[in-house]
Amino acid sequence: MKMSTGTTKKIKTIRKMTIVALFMFVVINSVTIVTSLKNDTVEKDISCYHCHSTEVEQFQNSVHYTNISCVDCHGGDKAVNGTLVSADVMSRNFTGIPSRVDVTKLCAKCHNKTVELYEESVHWNKLMSGRESAPSCLDCHGTHNILSHTDPVSTTYVSKIPQLCAGCHENQTKMQAWYYGIATDRFDTYKRSYHYKASILGGGKAKSLATCNDCHENHNTKNQTDPTSAIYPANLVKTCEKEGCHSGQNVQIYGGKVHEGQSVYLLSTSVDLKRIVTYFYIVMILFELSFTFGLIFLGIYSQMDIRKRE
Amino acid sequence: MSELKFKRFTLNQRIQHIIFFMSFILLAYTGFPLKFPDEWWSRWMIASVGGFDNRTLIHHISGFAMIGISIYHVVFHAILEKPRYDILFNLKDVQDFWQQMLYFLKISNDHPKFGRYTWKQKFEYFGGGFGAVIMGFTGILMLNPFESMKYFPLGLIQIAGLFHTWEAVLASIAVFIGHFYDEHFGKFPNLSWLTGNVSEEEMEHEHQLEYEASIDDYNAKNVIKKTGDNATKSHYDVRNRLIIVFSKTVFTVIFLIVCIWMLWISYHTLLEAVETYIL
Repeated sequence: MKMSTGTTKKIKTIRKMTIVALFMFVVINSVTIVTSLKNDTVEKDISCYHCHSTEVEQFQNSVHYTNISCVDCHGGDKAVNGTLVSADVMSRNFTGIPSRVDVTKLCAKCHNKTVELYEESVHWNKLMSGRESAPSCLDCHGTHNILSHTDPVSTTYVSKIPQLCAGCHENQTKMQAWYYGIATDRFDTYKRSYHYKASILGGGKAKSLATCNDCHENHNTKNQTDPTSAIYPANLVKTCEKEGCHSGQNVQIYGGKVHEGQSVYLLSTSVDLKRIVTYFYIVMILFELSFTFGLIFLGIYSQMDIRKRE
Repeated sequence: MSELKFKRFTLNQRIQHIIFFMSFILLAYTGFPLKFPDEWWSRWMIASVGGFDNRTLIHHISGFAMIGISIYHVVFHAILEKPRYDILFNLKDVQDFWQQMLYFLKISNDHPKFGRYTWKQKFEYFGGGFGAVIMGFTGILMLNPFESMKYFPLGLIQIAGLFHTWEAVLASIAVFIGHFYDEHFGKFPNLSWLTGNVSEEEMEHEHQLEYEASIDDYNAKNVIKKTGDNATKSHYDVRNRLIIVFSKTVFTVIFLIVCIWMLWISYHTLLEAVETYIL
């Protein structure tokens, strides 16, 4: 049927518009359906992340993310709660936050050798005897954000170890004399040692940075009075000569007090030699300063014509 | 202006002094960053010598240089040459000191007349000498601690460390502030450490007794006669003056920076000493 040009144009326009409208209908509906599907998921999202987003985000950045799940430490059913985006997350038996004693059992599931060492330590000993401030695995390694000690961001990275230990061992309240009797100046005295200074300035040989754990051991750290301790005076030589440190150098440190601030007595008297030397040099340095500047200022003063010389 | 000059330092003495002060400066430069490793300038100074291991090497080599030149100095001047006794303290030094104090405080108008070495120069000489001995001995003790620990207990080596670090501060104050001010800052440019010569003015002013003794004998060994050169060298004059002014400014700036640095070091050293060993 032949139509006039005007009508053809109109029909063409209508056809075009119908196609566009159909297209839009499909697009808009798809978007709606997809987003509503997502909404469905969000609405029904009862995964761990939904409530514990901070912990989950930390956990995602940690070294454990790929090999263990929330269930391994906090209980629940692995099938249902085994992933972070689980269905029906509130359905199973959770054990909540494990106690500091129980934590070691949990870590031992994979890290059994390390935990064996830890159970020899004075830290574990104190924890078991009820000292709540004694450290468990988590106090040094973190909880959800554990990173390998080779990662510079980790709390157990080699150059951050002194700070880590000092966190408790510089704390006067925690180390009180009637409680533990541990000196709190160990970080300061360590800072005066060549080990610290050379390493912080990029020393070649000291690059392996002898920090607290190199001498005091970390997991199986013991009190100096314990004959099996690495810092028991008779064991010091072996500690200094360990692999990667001063092996083969015939270290004769017998009974030596390594941390610089410790007193050195004249033979068997109570004459504190370090204190005497300190007093002497304080006097000498003050004298030298006053002498030098005094003469400079006196010289200048004598050249000034405040009062004319007669 | 007189063209007479006096020979104060022989070539041997000048070379000794150059070796000594070069090792002293290198030792201080590579030593103090180790004492204050947390400071920004420590890291900068260590980087400027090419890292920590270079710093250690330079420090040890300069240390041996200082020990060597000190031994040479004593052997040569006390044994090989006829020893001179005018470097030793005597009663006149005490009298000179007292008289100079009275002069400074404007109580007296009479400045003491010095011989070849003033009391202050003797003081600097023996201070530096003892300093070098202490630094040398304690430095060697700490050079290889394990070797030293075969003969001495660890505590003694720690005490050697205290002597070493505090004597360094003392000596640096004495040299960088005291010596530089006395001998270099006030009489800039003092070239006697290079040429060995001092002018007649300076001899008359600072070592009057020696001046009087030698000027009587016009042919005395230490007098260098220079014929007056009357050629006009006006443009050299201006150029020389500009060089001197420029050098003096640079020297003053460096001197001030070093003074401030020394004061900072002294303060923190004393603070640490008191906190650690007294309190």
